[in-house]
Amino acid sequence: MRTGSRLGVHLGLIALTGVTVTPYLWLLSTSLKERTAVFTPTPQWLPWPVNFGNYVEVFQRAPFGLYLVNTLIVVSGILAVQLVTITLAAYVFARRRFPGRELLFGAFLLQMMIPIHATFVPNFLTLRTLDLLNTRLAMMLPFFASGYGTFLLRQAFRTVPRDLEDAAVLDGCGGLRFLWHVLLPLTRPTLVAFGLISLVSHWNDYLWPLIVTDTPDVRTLTIGLGMFVQQESGADWTLLMAATAFVTAPLMVIFLIFQRRFVESFMTSGLKG
Amino acid sequence: MRTRSMLAVVLLGMLALAGSGAVLAQGKLIRLTFYYPVGVAGPLAKVIGDMTDQFNKQEAGRIEVVPVYSGDYDPTLQKVQTAVMAGNPPDVFIVEISELHTLLAMNAIVPLDEHVKKAEGGRYWEDFFPAFRENSVVGGKIWWIPFQRSTPVLYWNKEAFRKAGLDPEKPPRSWDELREYAKRLTVRDGSEVKQWGVTISGGWHDWLFEAFVRQNGGWLINAEGTKANFTSKEAVEALEFWVDLLNQEKVGPPHSTWASTPPDFVAGRTAMLYHSTGILTFLKNSAKFDFGVAFMPARKSYGAEVGGGNLAISRKIPKERQEAAWRFIEWMTSAENAAKWSIASGYVATRASAYDRPEMKVHVEKNPEYLVARDQLKFASAKMMAPNYQKIREILKKQLDDAVDGRVNPKDALDTVQRQVMAVIKR
Repeated sequence: MRTGSRLGVHLGLIALTGVTVTPYLWLLSTSLKERTAVFTPTPQWLPWPVNFGNYVEVFQRAPFGLYLVNTLIVVSGILAVQLVTITLAAYVFARRRFPGRELLFGAFLLQMMIPIHATFVPNFLTLRTLDLLNTRLAMMLPFFASGYGTFLLRQAFRTVPRDLEDAAVLDGCGGLRFLWHVLLPLTRPTLVAFGLISLVSHWNDYLWPLIVTDTPDVRTLTIGLGMFVQQESGADWTLLMAATAFVTAPLMVIFLIFQRRFVESFMTSGLKG
Repeated sequence: MRTRSMLAVVLLGMLALAGSGAVLAQGKLIRLTFYYPVGVAGPLAKVIGDMTDQFNKQEAGRIEVVPVYSGDYDPTLQKVQTAVMAGNPPDVFIVEISELHTLLAMNAIVPLDEHVKKAEGGRYWEDFFPAFRENSVVGGKIWWIPFQRSTPVLYWNKEAFRKAGLDPEKPPRSWDELREYAKRLTVRDGSEVKQWGVTISGGWHDWLFEAFVRQNGGWLINAEGTKANFTSKEAVEALEFWVDLLNQEKVGPPHSTWASTPPDFVAGRTAMLYHSTGILTFLKNSAKFDFGVAFMPARKSYGAEVGGGNLAISRKIPKERQEAAWRFIEWMTSAENAAKWSIASGYVATRASAYDRPEMKVHVEKNPEYLVARDQLKFASAKMMAPNYQKIREILKKQLDDAVDGRVNPKDALDTVQRQVMAVIKR
């Protein structure tokens, strides 16, 4: 009985995996096809003849290597600063009492509800005043603080029992040390989850980088990818898929490496929600 | 939050001074920023780069144009709007032609009449095809210059025509023929459709719908963008025809996307296709069968409206930059460059004399299909324009979809459009 139901679960999961992986395999297949082999009456899974030329052409049309470097700098830069800001903010909101705390935290939550587009003009003005337009920093700066991250981490911090803090204080442990040695290790799954979410969402960010940058030397992968999606004529699918494969591959690798942690952290953060 | 990010700004501002920014060179050289979208497939960003390089070489030491790729039409408009509102406008830019009123409402661009009058000994403006000129003029002034311009046409699969017993060299000429042919071309296997008779591409079907209204002798929004006319008999009949084709006869897919229908045509899943001239190069490269390009079938007459993007100059930049920007526009739209751009992109060349150039003659002799869109221009007129055009498009598209699905009758759908569009225009 038990093995039977486990078999059922596994079959279900295998089917789901198929659903998830199929589009990606189709993408890879299309990226290796000749242009005339893309649209055949019966879908052709194995590209033949195999055409690596699409990848070559993609790299000729836009400096994707440079875009990759820029993207890596931008997403890791954002994440590095975010981890500092959200940790400190979440600690204060979760563990310190001060007048106006609830009000201020409410403002943080409110910030999460403002559509990103509404902030474009004021942020653009700020960057212009600081003479930072068309820099990698311009793509990072508006995201250095994160209401969502602060909220997530505050909830995690609040689940750590007060007794631990009392014990630590009795042993002469100050606020920052307590944060570093007790709170952060205990909430690592949440940090990992937030890190991956931040990484993925800024990796995929398109409009803001497009608006604040002008030259290829600072631009990111998504802008390069955008050059292959055309509004008036439809897309050049072989090239678009080759570009997409290149743009998504690093994320895939990161996810595969952190997969276990990622799932783990979702499970725990779900429990604590 | 605010104070924290301000602190971060100050700290990182110092760091970034050493970063890579575009620092404008001072002195005699005028460096112009040029935002451009890429609307059709192909390595067009590179073509634009080559063209600006050539211009820069010619103007060495005086003007340097820096081309900035800015996404599709929608992101380009957003980038332009943000930059204008923040007081950092691009000097020259291309946006989609329906947005003229949006730009005027922002006071973003300058009229070009003075320049246009003097250009090419006064013969410059007259040389542009009249249908392309129309979207430039509001309030008696010329606001921008046609550059990457297209128009919808009908593509037909000659092989499918042959199989259905139709003359493969004769596309439908009228709405009635279109319906007739589409019925014969639709191939069903039980309830499953193997091949549609005709596909009216979705996504920009607001644009295609306007063409049908034109063919029926009507119009939708006046040139000044102040009056909507969606409830006319002509418009209602056009929508009734769509409902007839797509809902009653079921000879075409009721919904599709702009990007998916050219591949459908190439794969033989539709025998006829309404789409932009912009896909002709893609079809030629991808289709394994013989196909033709035709005028869109007529009702009272042939009819089409134009599309694409125009070149404009920002208002809030110094006079000498505007002068330099005009030199660039005049150069980009010369007959020679109009021909070159058309050959490279598949867009219709904007000027009559572009078709007299030897390289163009060679090109159209080899590919006579490229001339169909030009010849259809005789029956074409301006694309509708209004402030907040994005919103108007969405209103119209929703009602077109609902009518085609049979959720609302054509008359009521267009009544709703009229009411909602007027509310947008009046604001």
